[in-house]
Amino acid sequence: MVITAARLIQNDAVLMVGTQWPIVAALLAKALHAPDSVICHEGGVVMGKLPERVPLFTVDPTLHSCSVLLGGSFDTLGAVLHAGRADMALLAAASIDRFGNINTTCFGDYGSPRVRLGGSGGGCDLGSLAEKTIIIMEHERRRFPEKVDFITTPGFLEGGGTREEAGLRPGTGPFAVVTTMGLFGFDEQGEMILLRFNPGFSIEDIRENVQWDLRVADDVSALESPTEEELEMLRKRIDPQGMYLRGGRMLDGRDLET
Amino acid sequence: MAHQNKLMSMSEAVKEYVKDGSALYMGGFTQLQPYAAAHEIIRQKTEDLTLSTCVGLTLADQMIGAGVVKNLITAFVWNPVPLKAHCFSRSVIQGIPRTIGLEEYSVLALNLAFYAGAMGLPYVAAKTLLGTGFDSEKNPGGAKNRLRFEHSPFTGERVCLVPPIRHDLGIVQVQRCDAFGNAQAWGIMGETKYGLLSCDKIIICAEEIVETETIMRDPNRTLIPSFRVNAVVKEPWGAHPSSVAGFYDMDWRYYAYYGTKTSTEKDFEQYLDKWVLNVSGREQYLRLLGDRRVRSLIPEPFISEPVDYGRLTRHFPEDNDR
Repeated sequence: MVITAARLIQNDAVLMVGTQWPIVAALLAKALHAPDSVICHEGGVVMGKLPERVPLFTVDPTLHSCSVLLGGSFDTLGAVLHAGRADMALLAAASIDRFGNINTTCFGDYGSPRVRLGGSGGGCDLGSLAEKTIIIMEHERRRFPEKVDFITTPGFLEGGGTREEAGLRPGTGPFAVVTTMGLFGFDEQGEMILLRFNPGFSIEDIRENVQWDLRVADDVSALESPTEEELEMLRKRIDPQGMYLRGGRMLDGRDLET
Repeated sequence: MAHQNKLMSMSEAVKEYVKDGSALYMGGFTQLQPYAAAHEIIRQKTEDLTLSTCVGLTLADQMIGAGVVKNLITAFVWNPVPLKAHCFSRSVIQGIPRTIGLEEYSVLALNLAFYAGAMGLPYVAAKTLLGTGFDSEKNPGGAKNRLRFEHSPFTGERVCLVPPIRHDLGIVQVQRCDAFGNAQAWGIMGETKYGLLSCDKIIICAEEIVETETIMRDPNRTLIPSFRVNAVVKEPWGAHPSSVAGFYDMDWRYYAYYGTKTSTEKDFEQYLDKWVLNVSGREQYLRLLGDRRVRSLIPEPFISEPVDYGRLTRHFPEDNDR
């Protein structure tokens, strides 16, 4: 999933990178085929070289010693993203719908939700303003509703030009969704369409794990397997402690060592 | 007010400046978050705050759980591990300890609101939040906030109007400050400068107190000048578990610990007793953390080369020729 996402990043791209999997994908791309890509984070980070420790968050203090610029949010969300200079945004998502709208706010009604999530963070800004937004998320059926309960980050809204009607700039919007099952794009109406599938799954598997009648590209094909070079770079250089890859950051509920 | 010595203890500063029912901005974008101040605010049983925090994380979560918050203005409240922000979640879903007023934005929009507040601008127009659940014109049943949606008088395009947000008081942790309140900070700053500037009064919590001469040798680094500051508190490690560039790492395992130790109301009460209510101040908190843990968070040095601002004492260079 991370490797597929990294492959979408071109050298020289100016990237606005959100937290979690997007960090790993962006670092992998920069380490391999996109060394001249510019990684920016919403707190005011323009990265200079690969961090010595994998950042666990977009404001990880390891970023203080590998950046060419440290400033405030206006330096990146303002002068890069809002100014229209971000080629790509990379985002995580709790759930995403048929037209690429992302929900990281709540499940159920906003006023009395069943589940409350963290909120937008910079996500709404990234999805609203970057030329191409890539969403990276583990694939579960319940995370792919036909229509999200709350649009935190705009995709194509209701499709068919409604994104521009709301006032969002033409030439911006979701470009790809990369999941553990496959790679999805968006058609001219703004509807999600399956482009490539992870060879471990059938097209039917994928269609069953999306809550609407998923469009499939005529020339849909299997994703290429990760190369040795990509795996090596990921496991040995980017995330050697498995903080992302082996859930090393998660809790085992033990008491704090004091 | 610029040249008055404002050094005082955390408890004095909170007692003097944090008022029930006031609008409080807590600064720091994941780093520099003033946890020691938050704990003192909780200990002093402050009531009904309108808490403003861009990326509130577990600081906002604790203050909500402790019952000091009546309204929340934010772009994000979550435990970054990632784990649920349990107190925030309980408040929104079950009204425990109470239902809070929720006013939500994106990070950029909140930055712009603070900027407008800091500058005294009537409003700022932007191209974010359009068409989303924050857009009350397109989605009336969605989030509540102060945004308006209009068409630009210049181009006719639809825009999001962000009004100024101002605060009675702002608090932040910084690396160094002099006794008068000239505060310097570095690292990732997020919205912090404009958040602070949007406040009527400011409390600076500093790792170190320095001479004014030190400040004046690097004035580009100044976050807030002394004439804007009301109180200065020397509070080493005041931002733990968040980080302070050059001083200490983000205590990731502490965030994870907090996330598992607050999943029920009772668990949170035990957490609060142990780390906040039965603790007299940050010094005792650090003893609870333990010397080994504290030392393990200290980074290796990463020092800059000094810069020369240039000092000019002669009126005109030609004086030398006379």
